[in-house]
Amino acid sequence: MYQWLDDRLSIGRLYAKAFRKAFPVHHSFFLGEITLFSFITLVLTGIFLTLNYEPSIRPVAGPLSDGKEVPAAYYSILYIDSLPFGAVLRSLHHWAAHIMIAAAFLHMLRIHLTGAYKNPRELNWMIGVFLLVFSILAAFTGYALPYDNYAFTATKIGYEIGAAAPWVGRLMSDILFAGELSLTNTQTIPRLYSIHVLWLPLALMGLIGAHLAIMIKQKHTQPRYAEKVAPGKIVGVPLFPQQAVMMGVLFLIYLAVATFIAGAFIAHPVQAFGPPTVATPAVKPDWYFMWIFGILQMIPATWRFEFLGATFGPQFWGGILVPTLIILGALAIPFLDYAKDKRRYLELPSQHPFRTSFVIGMLMFYLMTTLAGYKVDLQLTIGTLWMLVLAVPFLTGLAAYIILKAVYGKEWNQEAEGKQIGKGSAADD
Amino acid sequence: MYRNDTVVPYFALVFSVALFLMTYLNTQILVGPEEKKLTVGSIGLMAFAMVLFMYGFIGLLSNWLEGSELRPGIHQPEPSSLPMVAGVVLAILLVVLSGFFVRALIFANNPETGFYNDTTLQAGVFASMMLLLALMIAIYKKFFMMEEVLAEDEKGDFPW
Repeated sequence: MYQWLDDRLSIGRLYAKAFRKAFPVHHSFFLGEITLFSFITLVLTGIFLTLNYEPSIRPVAGPLSDGKEVPAAYYSILYIDSLPFGAVLRSLHHWAAHIMIAAAFLHMLRIHLTGAYKNPRELNWMIGVFLLVFSILAAFTGYALPYDNYAFTATKIGYEIGAAAPWVGRLMSDILFAGELSLTNTQTIPRLYSIHVLWLPLALMGLIGAHLAIMIKQKHTQPRYAEKVAPGKIVGVPLFPQQAVMMGVLFLIYLAVATFIAGAFIAHPVQAFGPPTVATPAVKPDWYFMWIFGILQMIPATWRFEFLGATFGPQFWGGILVPTLIILGALAIPFLDYAKDKRRYLELPSQHPFRTSFVIGMLMFYLMTTLAGYKVDLQLTIGTLWMLVLAVPFLTGLAAYIILKAVYGKEWNQEAEGKQIGKGSAADD
Repeated sequence: MYRNDTVVPYFALVFSVALFLMTYLNTQILVGPEEKKLTVGSIGLMAFAMVLFMYGFIGLLSNWLEGSELRPGIHQPEPSSLPMVAGVVLAILLVVLSGFFVRALIFANNPETGFYNDTTLQAGVFASMMLLLALMIAIYKKFFMMEEVLAEDEKGDFPW
């Protein structure tokens, strides 16, 4: 059988070229794999959901809604939840989206802290930024699909931010929501559905494919010790069977943890909120939008002016300008911290104090802006929020730098001396 | 970060437990124990807790299975009776749980049992099955699989 296939497809050559690729071993590389497995889980559970979901708001009545008329999309969620293991699979789909965004964020954090975005991996870093943005967009477009009161209202927050974009806001809402997001627009759910199950997954698949192909071409960054074991070489285990076995084990652990939590905590029980009504419940956007929501809370309503027929208001400053600047900043990181020579090894965060302190400061920025999203609940004033968002990240970054200097400062001096007398070292850039 | 150490995975596990605890307290204090739905904050905490738990778990497992530093060459396994017995016991447990899982699904689809669709039970059994499978593969890799470490050239012609 093998010989028959080999004669026709040269699978022996495929094995030698593709399956013998060396994978360096380091625990931090698993964060990217967790992100990938989340996407696979989303696709698999998504296939089950598409077989049972009706993307429509036409009124239907049945035993699951106690004979009351409810939108078909909402009713199909009740139907999915009534199937054996159906509620678990729907909840798993929901949790996998949250896990994917959290894992992608932590994966990027690791890449940033270890300098793995530097030459020659700048392009892959940029693809990674787009992957995170597209993942968040995919999660957002799926949020309204259960069509319950909470999801509808939460989606409206995002809709209003998008519609506030100067000049192109209306066009964007026409593309994403097929017009205005309202209880009477029958085209919104089918439009969001097609974007959620087709266009964004296709874009994500393309980006993931490019991300992996470039990673294979450029090779992994390696743990520093590999420099001593085999200088200039990639030290790792072959993709098949060893790396494939580790990936299989991780996927099973992923399924175990995510499914258990999905069953124990149904992420979005639609019955708790009911179908959409004109009465708006008190809602907050999902946690990955909370920092943007927090910035919106900090900006006074008076920060508004008109220019060439467009309105620049708080939703533009907080919901569009700041996130756009942060995304552009993220894209620029490999060029701001540019390395002329190619990087092969993971850099130690302790040896790069400014970068590490900056990352810690940015983390605190996200935490503080997220906290600002609870302005009403915590009864915080706008002045307090501004102080928290500006001062706490700066002071945290500064404290991190001072601590790093106190603990590792001597090593930096030794590194500098080593470079001056022409010696190589483990922490060389 | 210098090698495939256990420090960061241990820290990730401890941090994940702290996040799970925070979620629990958040749900008990802010939402109320009788309320089933989670707040967006709790969902975020849980998502990070799960990622850190998986990462910490696989990180420690990777250190046990692959070691902290690789050395090029072939490394033969050291099989023994104990891992074989453990594998057989896990396989039997897996079969039992598979039967139980199917029964749970049949119960959920049976009007005579009132469509007993217990998501926690179904998910718990399924999660146990996946964990058992992962453990069986890990035991096989540790005690019965030949390990090879490559030192590959930096430049290759794959994929192009």
